[in-house]
Amino acid sequence: MSTATTTAPAPVTRRPAPPPRRGSRRPSPAVRAGKAVAVVALLVFTLFPVYWMLVSAFDAKAGLGTSFVPASPTLEHFRFVLSDGGFDVFLRNSLLVALATVLASSLLALLASVAVARFRFWGRAQVLMLVLVVQMVPLEALVIPLFVQVRDLQLLGTLTGLVVVYVALALPFGIWMLRGFVAAVPVELEEAAYLDGATWGRMFRSVLLPLVAPGLVATSIFSFITAWNEFVFAMTLLGGETQNYTVAIGLRSFFGQHSNDWGAIMAASTIITLPVMIFFILVQRRLAGGLTAGAVKG
Amino acid sequence: MARVRPWMLLTPALAVLAVLLLWPLVQVALFSVQDYGLREIVSGEPNWIGLGNFVEIFTSEQLWAVVLPNTVVFAVLSVGCTVVFGTAVAVLLASLGRLWRTVVSSAIMAAWAMPAVTGTYVWVWIFDADRGVFNHVMQALGLQDAPVNWFTDRWSFYAIVLLNVVHHGFPFVAVTVLAGLLGVPKELLEAAEIDGAGPWRRFFSVIVPQLRQIFAVVIILSTIWDFKVFAQIYLMPGGAGSNREVLNLGVWSYTESFGQNRYGFGSAIAVLLTVLLLVITVMYVRTILKEEEL
Repeated sequence: MSTATTTAPAPVTRRPAPPPRRGSRRPSPAVRAGKAVAVVALLVFTLFPVYWMLVSAFDAKAGLGTSFVPASPTLEHFRFVLSDGGFDVFLRNSLLVALATVLASSLLALLASVAVARFRFWGRAQVLMLVLVVQMVPLEALVIPLFVQVRDLQLLGTLTGLVVVYVALALPFGIWMLRGFVAAVPVELEEAAYLDGATWGRMFRSVLLPLVAPGLVATSIFSFITAWNEFVFAMTLLGGETQNYTVAIGLRSFFGQHSNDWGAIMAASTIITLPVMIFFILVQRRLAGGLTAGAVKG
Repeated sequence: MARVRPWMLLTPALAVLAVLLLWPLVQVALFSVQDYGLREIVSGEPNWIGLGNFVEIFTSEQLWAVVLPNTVVFAVLSVGCTVVFGTAVAVLLASLGRLWRTVVSSAIMAAWAMPAVTGTYVWVWIFDADRGVFNHVMQALGLQDAPVNWFTDRWSFYAIVLLNVVHHGFPFVAVTVLAGLLGVPKELLEAAEIDGAGPWRRFFSVIVPQLRQIFAVVIILSTIWDFKVFAQIYLMPGGAGSNREVLNLGVWSYTESFGQNRYGFGSAIAVLLTVLLLVITVMYVRTILKEEEL
């Protein structure tokens, strides 16, 4: 849940185009140069880890010199990771777990968000408060009792046990975010459907669902990232069942007792990171919109 | 029907939350007042010892000398750095033209999207004792004679964690504060400028009061996240319990439970962490409630 952001009630109002600048306000060359330096420094700081990960992943001699470009470019690390390293299996496991989590948590979150966004009922504020507060619970407090529960259910070491836990982790944020998207759908559209003789179920399927679809996509991506990145529960609940490892803990198999295969670790990290980054950039505009919508409307 | 429908829609989600988040919270509290080890897990028999675990925690040197400073001082430092840096970046972004704003915010998104696990491994690799690029560069520049193992010393260990956490956390602050900055009425700033306020004065006397709510939310959320950093410490060399100097509350709880099989003691530490976070969360919820009506 580290990347998951909760509501940021930021009033996003587009600033009208700035009026033409007066001569006196034109920034001096010194200010412009300072800004350029700041931008370059910022870009280096933000991008260096990603860059270094890629360089090491593609370099057969990772870490043997101070070269900042791959000294001898190779795909060998990726080949090793995906075949002998067993990462093909970890990727499949992670995909299965993440997709199951997305399906289950989106369905539950959609139903719940319609309830809190569309109905005024006694207990509604309490439900929303609960959703807000459970997001703050530290995973370390949950991991001990959930380990015992999953053990009692004989699901230790299985992907099912993991999915059940991830659905619960993804749900609060999903409800909180979807509620904004549902609230943004004009009630008049629903009323029009009723006038045309639709039942509530028909209205839900034919009016609400298509209109909330973009929000559902954004929420799904966040559930996906939650499940894909999660580490503590995967490590605890899967134990020694190496064939069921997800990518986040599969990485640890490249750490040796005395030396680490850094080229392989960085290649595997690249494989884990890229889909998340692509998803993140796809969803960021939606996310900002959804969060502010959720913050303003209810 | 209309009165039952919301509850029909809510029931599945609430059931999941109750069984998987609320009941475990009750359970962890119950474990914390037991001597709960492997034997109790297998037999399921309770073994109540009252507040024994808490007495042990509060009288232990480990808590006062190592774990609490590592948790609280680190959280304060990293929240401070994240918010100041994030705000500075937001101000920079607001002053840029359209093209460069897009370029820089995309780079920021990349830093934000980096998963905590892989991000931590990359930082570990950069500072690796034998082949890390940081040691190479320091030696090439003549600032160091021999490679240094940055992970053994408590201070340099946490400096790396700080770098990692700020790098991962500042994008959220920058993006949120930027949205607020763009919403500050330009007339206010121009009026202040006409009144003779310099850029610093304008920032602290006009912009900051306007964005008070946003800063409150950003600070509290960062505090909550930085109090419970886990993977960023656990995955560093020595961070998984072998170096007792670098434990924080979360890692201490985890290693006592799953490393020593002292689940009761670990639960008591987890309860302590949860109570700390609960206090901060109450502050958060009150801020949100002022901002909007649920």
